[in-house]
Amino acid sequence: MKIKLMVLAVSLLASSGGTAGIDFGKLLEERINQELNKDKPTQPAPAPAQQPVQAPGQAPAAAQSAAAPPPPVKQKIDARQLGFALFGDYSLEEETRIGKQISGNLLGAVPLVRDDKLHRYVNLVGNWVALQSGRKDVTWRFGVLDTEDINAFAAPGGYIFVTKGLYRRLNNEAELAGVLAHEIAHVTQKHHLKVLKQSSLIGALGQAASSKAKGSDQVVQNLIGNGAEIMARGLDKNAEFQADRVGIVYAARAGYTPWGLPDVLQDMAGLPAKDSRTSLLYKTHPHPADRLAALGEAVEGRLDAVRGKELADRFYRIR
Amino acid sequence: MKSFLIPAAALVLCVTAASAWAAPGTVLRNDKLYSQPSASAKVAGSVTKGTSVNILAKQGGWLRVTSGKTTGWIRLLSVRAGAGGLGGTGLGDVVGAATTRSDPSRVVAVAGLRGLNDEDLKQAKFNADELERLEAMKVTATQARDHAGQSGLVAVKVPGLPEPKPAQTSSPWGNN
Repeated sequence: MKIKLMVLAVSLLASSGGTAGIDFGKLLEERINQELNKDKPTQPAPAPAQQPVQAPGQAPAAAQSAAAPPPPVKQKIDARQLGFALFGDYSLEEETRIGKQISGNLLGAVPLVRDDKLHRYVNLVGNWVALQSGRKDVTWRFGVLDTEDINAFAAPGGYIFVTKGLYRRLNNEAELAGVLAHEIAHVTQKHHLKVLKQSSLIGALGQAASSKAKGSDQVVQNLIGNGAEIMARGLDKNAEFQADRVGIVYAARAGYTPWGLPDVLQDMAGLPAKDSRTSLLYKTHPHPADRLAALGEAVEGRLDAVRGKELADRFYRIR
Repeated sequence: MKSFLIPAAALVLCVTAASAWAAPGTVLRNDKLYSQPSASAKVAGSVTKGTSVNILAKQGGWLRVTSGKTTGWIRLLSVRAGAGGLGGTGLGDVVGAATTRSDPSRVVAVAGLRGLNDEDLKQAKFNADELERLEAMKVTATQARDHAGQSGLVAVKVPGLPEPKPAQTSSPWGNN
């Protein structure tokens, strides 16, 4: 299957020739070379069996709907998307590299709160929740961003951020665990990696403004677009609903009350609609009322027997 | 001393719990009101989606609400707090429209004061020093387990929640 798709991609590359091939972006080129070298010395397998050629005059429409025709060469972006999606999953190394670049950019927009005790606490809680996620290959890092904005972010490879504005609204450790669990779920479900593979961001390959900053990874930057804009675009609303469903279970598995995340959503639902501190949040997430409703459909009475801790007493409070 | 403090603290808690939660809310899905915060308690009434309620108290996954002449406990996820009604979609559109237009005031504003926006993120330059700080503060799984154990947190088995029934298949490739 994989090889078949590979061959399709290579033939697409070849057929589109110089027009689409030149601006394909370094990362993609790297991957293609890697994949090609992996398959050597085996010669490329013969092209997958073609659809039988239609005799002239025979219903061509039916054949078209049955087989997915390759996109026209003119539509460069389609060809790129197809080319990128077919290499299966990103390796952990690539995933971490992407997450590192996104996080470095995000931290360029807003720095960490200068409070090491806070960070130690958030990392201890976050790692404990992440231990329940079943994803053991990731090194998790948790940061609190120094902004009054109310939001939280996840980047591939285990980078999780909560804003100071959100943190300050939390009342206990279970609420923190709930928020972190939602973000951890984005990483375990690889939501951002899926966006990278499918979205038109890939159309920006090789076009991102060059960043000369120390430690910046230009190959990855070309993949993710400008700065940390991938964080402003947000995910599909179904990915957010899924992160709520998965996150609430991670928090419960960690021994917390499952109601931490719902309590935070209730708090947000009670905020004025036009609060500037939530404008980015509402641009990238469904409204808390919709999230509560979707979560309610999934939970019903399923968590009635779950007892967990709130841990308000040891919750680390910031001013 | 201690024996005197506990009832006093309990009283304060009760008072704050009752007063802090006299808030408006809207029912998100048809559900029952129970006489106690438990699905095995007596049913005191029922409410339909869109009904306005007054939220009186909260306990675990339950809210004590008043709807008309009926007071009872309803599941936390069946109600939203706040005055936005069913809110969701309509409100989201308004907010979305308000935030996607460029705001002239943001040129002079600072991210820390006003909240983040698209432009802040798009213009962001890689900050290796901050990333290094983040890296330096990470902890090990063992440290996290110890910290959890200090407060008696124990991992429990909780089955995953069901996926919603697929409303429609959405393929990134569209319809061929």
